[in-house]
Amino acid sequence: MVPKIMKQGTLTPWLYLSAALIIMLLFIVYPTIRTVTLSFRDKRGTQPATVDCDSGEPCWGVFENYRYALTNPEMLQALRNNALWVLLMVPGTVGAGLTFAVLADQVRYERLAKTIVFLPMAVSFVGAGVIWKFVYYLESGKGAQIGVLNAIITGLGGKPVAWLTNSNWMVNSISLWIVGIWLWAGFCMTVLSAALRAVPVEIVEASRVDGASEWQIFWRIMFPLILPTITVVTTTMIINVLKVFDIVFVMTNGLNGTEVIANRMFKFIVTNQGRSMAIAVLLIVLTIPIMVFNVRRFREQEMMR
Amino acid sequence: MKKLLSLTLLTILLLTFVSGTASAEDPVTCQEEVVVQKDDWLSKYANKYLGNGRAWPAIFHLHNRAAEANPDKFPDKIENPDLIEVGWTICIPAAEDATSFLATYTEGIDCVGAASGDQVSVLYQWSGAEEEKFNTVVKPLVDACGIKIVAQSSRDDAVLDTKAKSTPPDVVFWPKIAPLTLYTNQLRDLGELGADPANYAPYWQNMGSVGGRWLAAPVKADIKTIIWYSPANFELFGYTVPTTWAELDALVEKMVADGNVPWSMGMESGPATGWTGSDFIQDLLLVQQGPWYVLDVISGKVAYNDAGVKAAYETYGKWAKDEAYTVGGATGTVSTSFLDAIHKVFSDPPEAMMVKQSGFAGGEIASQYPDLVYGTDYDFFAVPGALGVQGGADFMMAFSDSSAAKALVVYLTSPKGAAEWAKAGFDLSPNRMALGHYADTALVKKSIALAGAAGFTPDIGDTIPAPFGEAEWKAIVDYVNGADLGAALDAAAAAQADALK
Repeated sequence: MVPKIMKQGTLTPWLYLSAALIIMLLFIVYPTIRTVTLSFRDKRGTQPATVDCDSGEPCWGVFENYRYALTNPEMLQALRNNALWVLLMVPGTVGAGLTFAVLADQVRYERLAKTIVFLPMAVSFVGAGVIWKFVYYLESGKGAQIGVLNAIITGLGGKPVAWLTNSNWMVNSISLWIVGIWLWAGFCMTVLSAALRAVPVEIVEASRVDGASEWQIFWRIMFPLILPTITVVTTTMIINVLKVFDIVFVMTNGLNGTEVIANRMFKFIVTNQGRSMAIAVLLIVLTIPIMVFNVRRFREQEMMR
Repeated sequence: MKKLLSLTLLTILLLTFVSGTASAEDPVTCQEEVVVQKDDWLSKYANKYLGNGRAWPAIFHLHNRAAEANPDKFPDKIENPDLIEVGWTICIPAAEDATSFLATYTEGIDCVGAASGDQVSVLYQWSGAEEEKFNTVVKPLVDACGIKIVAQSSRDDAVLDTKAKSTPPDVVFWPKIAPLTLYTNQLRDLGELGADPANYAPYWQNMGSVGGRWLAAPVKADIKTIIWYSPANFELFGYTVPTTWAELDALVEKMVADGNVPWSMGMESGPATGWTGSDFIQDLLLVQQGPWYVLDVISGKVAYNDAGVKAAYETYGKWAKDEAYTVGGATGTVSTSFLDAIHKVFSDPPEAMMVKQSGFAGGEIASQYPDLVYGTDYDFFAVPGALGVQGGADFMMAFSDSSAAKALVVYLTSPKGAAEWAKAGFDLSPNRMALGHYADTALVKKSIALAGAAGFTPDIGDTIPAPFGEAEWKAIVDYVNGADLGAALDAAAAAQADALK
């Protein structure tokens, strides 16, 4: 028989939860509901969605804002770019983080090296955008190239390059990804470095005794062991990158083929709220599978313990 | 006895009144009666007969007086001094009449029955130096009539909205005409308050009228249809300031032939990149199509992929995309900041000959190159051949018909008010009577450009809804960076149709 004092009433757990629940309701649940309902109104978010429909033009009824979000050429460009950020910039960041983590373990000044790589995390994204705008700066007249990159290129006798305003949009995109990698590689490195440390020394020693090369040790022993961490880092990065805004807004404002979803959302936020909200919902929908995947993995790991 | 005294007083008063009216209606002595020929205008007559083009208001007003007194001889009254028709007979006043008219025509202040101590509440967006200039302008009225102007300064539309709903200010000065449609029924007809519409070009009257009621009069304007250049460099290379578009075009080609780069067209401006290009293209539209066309683009009546817009883009692109015409070619145009673009014209040696930029460029040049002197090292000229101008204007609207409000409205729309506005140098006064009263040389030049304009257009970029504006900037950047012009304009036209729907 459990003493009465040890028993919880049905109300008590709710009481403990209430603070968190109220905050969640007020700042997450309510805004989400509001966002979704607004997205089903007209583009300004004030009238029923159908007022935006013109006779003879395609119309998706209450999904009119979603028609814009999924068919407008600007939005298609943004979707393409976000996909490229995920497909190319995320592996780049995780790869760079992993390389730093592995290599830093081998050098004497490990702490200093890691600090330097991690330092950009302390810079605000807007600040990073401004800094890198100077790095990429192009002087188009007779003046000297004051941008580091173009100064080096012209110093070596080359022709300066328009890194952010190139007529080839891939150049502009790659320039932006490099800024992203610079900012986030430190985060990936820190997490992966901790995972590498957690690999039991005995296993590594044993494989060495068995005659494995360093290359084999990494790919056959370390990599499989830290794979769960790599997955977590990658999914976190995918979520980060889907929401990317600051770097793009500051450096190109989506011009010259660099538009991304969050920047489209921001452009409409004042004048066309309904449309902006539909883009926001689209962004949420794109992130949900990754969140679900993350939560599932987390549960599986818990069960293994 | 008392009765007799008051009677005498009344008679004296009446007599003065009658004699005053009589003298004003005395037929004007005409030194010449000219029949209007093609391509004649008033300042041309003023120059020919009175030796001063600026004396045209004397012909305008004195001819009308003569026409009132003698309608048989002069059947045509001049309603609009910009518009005299072939075949009209115009009375050119005698030189001494003209001189005495010009000496007095700005002097009268009509208190319209406002008594000393009467208050008029006003709401405007001006503050600091602007507010001081406004106070300088109204000082003669305040001194002459003893009225008190109670001012509130706010840049917030919401403040105007709240006040309009509860306690509207007597008179509002606002940098847009939106209140016109919002408070149409509350606003007073300025003509009924005693303002003289003849002091404003017809396009200003149209802009400020709703359903035949004249509700908003422009009091202040600034134009940015201007091009900055270095007089020193022009002299060095033997260039002269162009007065027609053909001359500008020829000058540009001559500069290229001389190995000089004519333009500095950089437009990078962070998240607002594109606005400099938008200004340039608007000026090209004002030259090639005219102000009405620009207004139709703003309202959506003309689609953004119309042939006229396309032609302006092509002219723009010819220069903006070519290294021979602008610093750095297409790459330079999209990647050079608009401030650097200004500097490049005045650097030593100069990288370009001209930069199209609004009035703030003067301050930018002065702070970047403190040694340069305005007028000899840097100066501007109005875009030659522009049929209209672009810029910003502040409008006066009245919620009240109190005597003090009337006095203020009448004063600011009068020749005297306009002259004081010009003297204070509070940008330009769109009032025709301000011409000739400016002291500041930059304002003199701008005032002549404004007086010659057939229309006034707001900045397209500032007026159209944000999504259309963004699309316009993007179209410019895309086009300069090599995108197909048709496709770029189609995208902007789609955004235009969508935003204005």
